[in-house]
Amino acid sequence: MRLDSIAKVIRSKNAGPCLLTLDVMLPDEAAFAYVAERVGPLRRQVARRYGRSENEVAVLPFRPALAVKITLPRDVVSGDVGDRDVYGAQQHAPLLDIEL
Amino acid sequence: MTAIARLLDDFAHRRRPLRSLGASGQLGYGIPTPAFEAGLARAPDMIGVDMGSIDIGPAYLGSGKMAPTRIGAKRDLRKVLRAARHLDIPLIVGSAGSAGAKPHLDQTLDIVREIAREDGLTFSMAAVGADVSRAEVKRAIAAGRVRPMDTMPPLLEVEVDRAQHVVAQLGVEAFQRALQADVDVVVLGRACDTGIFAAIPALLGFPAGIAMHMAKIIECASLCCLPGGRDTILGVLDDQGFELESMAPGRAATPQSVAAHSLYEQADPFEIREPSGCVDLRQVTYRAIDGRRTRVEGATFEPADQLTVKLEGAAMIGYRALLLAGAADPQFMQRHQEIFAAVSRIVRDLVCEDEIEDYRLGFRLFGVDGVRAWAEPPPQMPREAFVMGECIAPTPERADEVIRTTKQYLLHHGYEGRLSTAGNLAFPLTPPELAVGEAYRFNVFHLMEIDDMARSFPLERETVK
Repeated sequence: MRLDSIAKVIRSKNAGPCLLTLDVMLPDEAAFAYVAERVGPLRRQVARRYGRSENEVAVLPFRPALAVKITLPRDVVSGDVGDRDVYGAQQHAPLLDIEL
Repeated sequence: MTAIARLLDDFAHRRRPLRSLGASGQLGYGIPTPAFEAGLARAPDMIGVDMGSIDIGPAYLGSGKMAPTRIGAKRDLRKVLRAARHLDIPLIVGSAGSAGAKPHLDQTLDIVREIAREDGLTFSMAAVGADVSRAEVKRAIAAGRVRPMDTMPPLLEVEVDRAQHVVAQLGVEAFQRALQADVDVVVLGRACDTGIFAAIPALLGFPAGIAMHMAKIIECASLCCLPGGRDTILGVLDDQGFELESMAPGRAATPQSVAAHSLYEQADPFEIREPSGCVDLRQVTYRAIDGRRTRVEGATFEPADQLTVKLEGAAMIGYRALLLAGAADPQFMQRHQEIFAAVSRIVRDLVCEDEIEDYRLGFRLFGVDGVRAWAEPPPQMPREAFVMGECIAPTPERADEVIRTTKQYLLHHGYEGRLSTAGNLAFPLTPPELAVGEAYRFNVFHLMEIDDMARSFPLERETVK
């Protein structure tokens, strides 16, 4: 299943100037369980797509919001030379077609 | 009697739930009037507004400028100030002027005084600046009391000197101290947004964990609702938990929407880190009261052994000039990387005949790699693309020289297989070059241990009329 066919929200934003945090919000318990049970493969694919090693990528299911949070370092500190997205609000696109 | 004295006196006679109004999560961009007035009609005990964030980038902290216009900030400050004085309740403003350094705090206080003068308001105000002296930071570095946040390198003295401003995110303690100065209005420089709404609960003895959790949510106004938005929110706090209600009828605080707010711009949804400790959200429960209101319970506060403040600093790295252009030639887009590299070399040979290569020149092709440095090229090129050339140089004149030369040679660069020999670029406006001014970078984002907050961040009290 593609992530954008399961999730109702897929978003990205800075968590401070050095980190990017991505939220995958699921519509119901079943979808949440489906993704939360696949944290390992999700982490592997995120690491590959964002050009990071797996130990730089944190994947954390957050049941109260039926969401899975992914946090990883930004390529460039927010607003520094060469940054392309100061707020980090458009860095979610590589997640959309991840197959789980 | 001041507004805070009146509130403390009221609670001394009768302990009851505390009603806090989160008027705006980003003061200066407009406070929708219907929801704000609906909130005022609910007999709030205080009004709080956050003005800043680090997420807006280093330019504001570096330059000392506010992110919104002065007109926008004044309009919104007038709205909350008049309301707070009319109801005679405390008004608390955090992260003054966007980045919360001295110039930002000064501009904000100046606006507040101006409003008071124009509107005939008289009140007492306490302000706490968040600037940390370079000497204090250097002493802390030498004592091993500064450590990097996230991916930042260790802090060097030279970076402390380079930073235009170094501020600390002040916590609940500073807000509390300002309120204890017996005032109507509190304005802080850079501050944790939680402090705005957790300080009065701290003075009244509400449990710190619950109060800080509520504070963290309502500082963003109705962002925790469905649909999320900037309308005013009411938070009603008691000793077991708090209730949230948006003052806009079309926005609902649901258990899931409120829980989801803990994810927003946070690396860890289970913790809120404060200078004085950590709020643990692992045991929190969210329960619907009705379709539009949610009750939240269960956050606990774990005090830290050592006070630590987050330091933020921004250094100037030069002057920026841009080239803005479009392209519609498939060959140009396909070969943009080699074209940009070739033109960069040509420009360097020209502008560095008499001077060293003292600038940085970069390009982005929006439509292809403007938003992300993608690992792989797209499967096919778009029909059109936007070219942004960017130069950062030691002087505005140098940046301008480099970017204007770049425009000329990128326009006429004869790459192999070129069909459009009259020009490679479509300029959407004239001149297509733009001088943007000073460029900054975050060079301080570190944690510093600190012992005496009151000594490092003294407060100033004044009567405004």
